[in-house]
Amino acid sequence: MDCIRKKVEEEVKRGTVGPDQSCPYHPSHFIGQDCTFCFCPFYPCEDEKLGKFIGSKRGKQVWDCSDCLFIHRKEVVGFVMEEIRRSGFGECGDERMAEIFFDAKERFWRRGRPVMVLGATSDAGKSVTVAAMCRIFHRRGFITAPFKSQNMSLNSKVTRTGSEIAMIQALQAQAAGLKNTDYHMNPILMKPKGDMVSQVVVEGKPLGDYDVRSYYSDFVPGPGRDAVRRNIDFLLDRYDIVVMEGAGSPAEINIYDSDIANMQAAEIADADCVLVVNAEWGGAFAYALGTVELIPEKDRGRIKGIIINNVRGDVEKMRPGAEELEKMLGIPVLGIVPHADVKLPSEDSESFRGSRTVGAGSVRVAVVKFPRISNFTDMDPLFLEDTAVVFADRPEEFEGADAIVLPGTKNTISDLEWMKENGIAAKISSMKGKIPIIGLCGGYQMMGSKLSDPNGIEGGSPSEIDGLGFFENVTRWEVYDKCVRQARGEIIATGGDVTGYEIHMGETDVREKPLFSLERFPGTVEEGSLREEEMLFGTYLHGVFDTQDFRRYFLSFVKGGRPVAESVDYQEYVDINLDKLADVFEEALDMDRMMEIVGAVR
Amino acid sequence: MKVLFLGTASGAGKTTVTAMYCRYLARRGVRVAPFKASNLSLNSYATSEGGEIGIGQAFQALAAGIVPVTDMNPILLKPGGGGRMQVVLNGKPCSDVTEGRPMDIAKATSEACKAYDRLRERFDAVVCEGSGSPAEINLRDRDIANIGMMRERNIPAVLVGDIERGGVFAALYGTWKLVPEEQRGLLKGFMINRFRGDPTILGSGIARIEEITGMKCLGVLPYADLRFPEEDSLSDSRGKMSGKDVSSAFLDNLDSLIGEAERSGFDFEALDAIAEE
Repeated sequence: MDCIRKKVEEEVKRGTVGPDQSCPYHPSHFIGQDCTFCFCPFYPCEDEKLGKFIGSKRGKQVWDCSDCLFIHRKEVVGFVMEEIRRSGFGECGDERMAEIFFDAKERFWRRGRPVMVLGATSDAGKSVTVAAMCRIFHRRGFITAPFKSQNMSLNSKVTRTGSEIAMIQALQAQAAGLKNTDYHMNPILMKPKGDMVSQVVVEGKPLGDYDVRSYYSDFVPGPGRDAVRRNIDFLLDRYDIVVMEGAGSPAEINIYDSDIANMQAAEIADADCVLVVNAEWGGAFAYALGTVELIPEKDRGRIKGIIINNVRGDVEKMRPGAEELEKMLGIPVLGIVPHADVKLPSEDSESFRGSRTVGAGSVRVAVVKFPRISNFTDMDPLFLEDTAVVFADRPEEFEGADAIVLPGTKNTISDLEWMKENGIAAKISSMKGKIPIIGLCGGYQMMGSKLSDPNGIEGGSPSEIDGLGFFENVTRWEVYDKCVRQARGEIIATGGDVTGYEIHMGETDVREKPLFSLERFPGTVEEGSLREEEMLFGTYLHGVFDTQDFRRYFLSFVKGGRPVAESVDYQEYVDINLDKLADVFEEALDMDRMMEIVGAVR
Repeated sequence: MKVLFLGTASGAGKTTVTAMYCRYLARRGVRVAPFKASNLSLNSYATSEGGEIGIGQAFQALAAGIVPVTDMNPILLKPGGGGRMQVVLNGKPCSDVTEGRPMDIAKATSEACKAYDRLRERFDAVVCEGSGSPAEINLRDRDIANIGMMRERNIPAVLVGDIERGGVFAALYGTWKLVPEEQRGLLKGFMINRFRGDPTILGSGIARIEEITGMKCLGVLPYADLRFPEEDSLSDSRGKMSGKDVSSAFLDNLDSLIGEAERSGFDFEALDAIAEE
């Protein structure tokens, strides 16, 4: 404790610093944080609203407040600094510090305000609305967090503590300017495996596989509700505003009582709601009216506004209808939002129907569109280069490709069988050595010589099948266990940077030259497989194309070594688009009304 | 017999359901024709007399086992970009409309009614398809294919709701509620399209919608990975298709859809009764 006290003394001497741009770890919590008290003068405050005891490696109980933002608020820093200086640091013993802490909390700690974004359908634009609101509130100086109680998605990301959450909540957290994204923002993640069975990830860790009925009968009423309450409480204790996202439609009256993702979550958080309707397919007024009126009266009152989203063409044409809707429902239409032309990672398989080509560049990258394709947002950064990315599920679509990506999948074995049956496997084999081919995660596992699932963990029933045989590697699924971690390191061949994250079941015995050297405490580890002369690449890392270094390295193998367009850092690019998105919403929405609904004041 | 299939949104499945019912009636020897008063599409078909109609009606005529004629789609609107639209009336391009110079709705409605009446003369059954959603309250005065035809010709109607994106109960109820009171009584039934999984889970929701709207649920159509002609650019279905040529492949797909519908307990008898009214 003495060493912390010494640090605090130095901090008090140095005075208020605001956001410390010179610190290599900045910002450790959120953009705009006050870094004056990197070491908290109140440690350990033992206030359960701000931290908790955890077991240390040596079995001792230690106070963990790594998620606390309180001491990084500007107004708190100002008050605490003044109080300590008024008394003199030497006079501030434990008792005086506790007094200052009590006063500071009394003055500045407030439980955050929740607001919930509901959608009339999947794909109504909930996620982008939440992202836009997170960015708008962040820009207005509120410390904001996104939250979605339950998300069904195969696009997940790894947090700094090694938890798995939906990619879209990580994106929304980025919109809010947060650096400490964690599972609280998406405590329940369902990853569909096929045959109506999903792997359920709770608070970042896989809990088990559930079918629809067992999920609603066994999981939802007990552990499900508890997880929602625990995590929404956690966020409301720490943030000014929590922007919650519903799931699907809140008016599924056949399962209303077991739906914890919509009105029940709103009730738990005591949140007011806004309803988003997508105007693109028509019927928006009917969807809005029907949704509101089918929600039972006890919950209906929470809906305080309607957003008509994604209007192409003249928004004014919708105005008379919106006014009539307001009159019928007695709920204001907060805005008619035009279609926002922004490029952001998209979430659902819903927006992924049919095959499609993204980008119009000269390098044609064919991506195998597995039935259980996961983390297809891995390919997004390729759009920054001179590429056209084709999601292909027929052999002939690979004809003429300049490069091939075998992406991740939630079910490596069944998707490998699918690819063998429909002739894609043979097609890709025939192109081996002629163009660069990369496997990511599940796709990497498929590139090995054998895949062995003696307990049916991956495929559902025990099996052992041959891989594509591009690498000598053998992958085995022995136990129901998932490897989830972030990674950073270098490309061995070039020394360039690579970042990414691993999320997979199964372990691979690698018998090839490695592709990456990754930092892993206390040293480095080798990862991936490489046969440069055959232009074969494989890695467990998702997000490998995020760094320009690896994108360029991979695309440099394309025939003739075509130069690729200048590109920006992918995260920066996403950030620019988040700002554009927020601008569109801020312009279209009645923000005064919105702030009233949120009820947050500064 | 006459019936009008209305969708809760674009892409709800109206075109396919209309074709399915045409095929169903034709197989039982009913002389049936498809009809869509007004169509917004760039995909058109040339009739044997050299007239232009929406591709959806040509496909539905194939399902009905008859030759496509322009009466099946008297008004075809072809967006030409920049807010300009070409109006094809009774198969012939007639004028361009713009924002400042909109279509004469009264005249168009009267032409649509004449075409409809001619089909009624020639056929035992006319199976009509609506356009977009009938609940666009901002466009109510300009609607021809949905509310317009219901008002002018008292055609009983069935709502088609797409469950794939969720919110189908809200869509059915909201659409019903936003159809003007004078026409609401013509909404006799509804169906839920593109369902995956065990339909018994929907039971309580369906019962509730039947109770509050008075519409009868005709059934739940399973998600069928079958390919049908595309009417607009929004839907991007690919689906299965096989057979010696495109026409027979479409007919095969319709037959398997009817088979699936019958197996899942779709109430064709109730639909017949609505159309007989």
